[in-house]
Amino acid sequence: MTIAVGDILAGIFSTTLTLSPFYLFAGMGEIVSEQSGVANMGLEGIMLMSLMSTLIVDYITGNPWIALLVAVGVAGVVGAFFGLAAIRVRMDQIASGLAIYLIGLGLSFVFFTTAYPSGLTPNYIALPPILENWNTIPYLGVVLLKQNILAYVSIIFVVATAFFLSRTSLGLRVRAVGENPKAADNMGVNVNKVRFLATLFGALMFGISGSYFAGNFVPGFQFDVIAGRGFIVLAMIYFANWKPYRALFAALSFNLVYAAQNEYVSLSGSGVASVSTLFNMLPYVFLLALIPIFGRKARVPKFLLKPYRKG
Amino acid sequence: MVVLAGGNIEVALSSLFLNPITLGGGIQQIFVRFVLFYTMGIGVGLALKAGLWNIGAQGQLLIGMVMVFVVYTFLASLPWPVLYVAMILGAALGGLLWIAVPTILRVKFGANEIVVTILLNVVAINFAFYMLSGPIKSSGTALGFPHSVELPAQFKIPNIISGVPITYAVPAAIVLGIILYLLVERTSFRVRANTVGESTETARYAGISIPRVMTITMLAAGALAGLAGATYLMGYRYELDIGSFSTNYGLVAIICALVGRKHMLGIGLASFFFAYMTIGAESMALSANVPTSVVFAMEGIMMLGILLGTYLTERRFAA
Repeated sequence: MTIAVGDILAGIFSTTLTLSPFYLFAGMGEIVSEQSGVANMGLEGIMLMSLMSTLIVDYITGNPWIALLVAVGVAGVVGAFFGLAAIRVRMDQIASGLAIYLIGLGLSFVFFTTAYPSGLTPNYIALPPILENWNTIPYLGVVLLKQNILAYVSIIFVVATAFFLSRTSLGLRVRAVGENPKAADNMGVNVNKVRFLATLFGALMFGISGSYFAGNFVPGFQFDVIAGRGFIVLAMIYFANWKPYRALFAALSFNLVYAAQNEYVSLSGSGVASVSTLFNMLPYVFLLALIPIFGRKARVPKFLLKPYRKG
Repeated sequence: MVVLAGGNIEVALSSLFLNPITLGGGIQQIFVRFVLFYTMGIGVGLALKAGLWNIGAQGQLLIGMVMVFVVYTFLASLPWPVLYVAMILGAALGGLLWIAVPTILRVKFGANEIVVTILLNVVAINFAFYMLSGPIKSSGTALGFPHSVELPAQFKIPNIISGVPITYAVPAAIVLGIILYLLVERTSFRVRANTVGESTETARYAGISIPRVMTITMLAAGALAGLAGATYLMGYRYELDIGSFSTNYGLVAIICALVGRKHMLGIGLASFFFAYMTIGAESMALSANVPTSVVFAMEGIMMLGILLGTYLTERRFAA
């Protein structure tokens, strides 16, 4: 039996590019949020809420773009609520973030099963691929043209976030309030307002991620369907030292490892869950192995997790 | 929420507050959850004193549960009382080994323990699933989801009074809490841990061995979470299946540790409160015909409520 190496490689790269945007949107959101000093641990709860709304709205309207918009809106509402709690009320960020996660985890499933008591998954109309007939072009088609437009938008977002944080005055203010809120305040920056905006931006990004999850990861909706993938974003940006381009590298390499093990498991034909779950651990172990290498030089934003009180 | 989902508010409220004590099995459930939340919570609280966030209690709990069956399966030749103890200690050891990774990464490489414990939660689920579908799988699993064998009667933690479904795990957890209280709160260790938690800089000037404090508190937290797994399996569930995987008890334990203000007694009260409310919420969800996942949302809302309450009282006293 000859194994088509080209097809296998194309498959691996295609999966990598399909999965990465989920981590990239959320990663950029969390980077901006954490650079301003607010860690949003509720990200997976927000994603679950937006995934749930995406599926429902998509089914009702038949338009994935409207679904995306609603998902982002829902994420914004939950994110604003978190921002209010963590910034205005100065709640412990980790505690309130986990609370938001639990709320999103529970409510998303309640809402979904209320909308579809039969438990049946509605038909999901996905965003179209870049080129409808992608399979007419060998290799390049499946890798580059099968993806929907959001895959490319996510990479643009990485560039834009890097530019925003290092080159724009609002971006510099975001970093200032995370690094030294007192000094920023003295310079006339409204610390909590900037933090709130950064947190809100983060939440909107989680909304895009949650919506992107539909159709690109697990079909339909189950309880706890994101299964920790949202939390992985926290590890990625930590490893990336809060730098957008390094987060891009983290997301791509993590998903490359994931795609490779996935391909290997399906090729080796062992549908046996015992083997595949062992291989499923690989990408996480890979990420763990990176931490002592890169995380060592991690420079945490100085006022991360610390609420700011004027005066 | 219940009303939104089309439930009857009166039925819902009475089941939330009354069913835990009136319904059959309610009391047992409360104490099972209490032991779980408390055993994990005091560990999380201990690490928090040293400023360390063990978000991975859930993972250590899972590994503890897996270890119970690993010991049961692979050391089956041991005589009964030895094996019994080995299963409990094995669970603690499993949790301890699982938290050793973030501990080493933190102490040796300065890697953030929040991130590493979160990552290891995901790895723990995969690992547990692997063990369950292979090494510790019951040969009785024909179709559907794999599960372990059921523990025979002599490996179940007995009830204190026969007929009353409260096991020896309850006093054991309380004794653990008291021991920890005496070891930590009543010795200089409290000051050392708190100093490390407040500021590593100060701790360094005071000549406190930061790695030592961090290692002790983290390993203890992991061992306790593993132990919690043993109490759950050997005192209540008796077999492991994937239903035990995505329970989020670990997160509730973090909430209990925070609400109880890292104090062994406070965590006890918080654990009891959350055990009671969780059972009430589950029963409410059932009677109002809402998916039980609503319980997670209610836990989250309670958590925010408590945080808000703390903020308001602090502001009143500050003003």
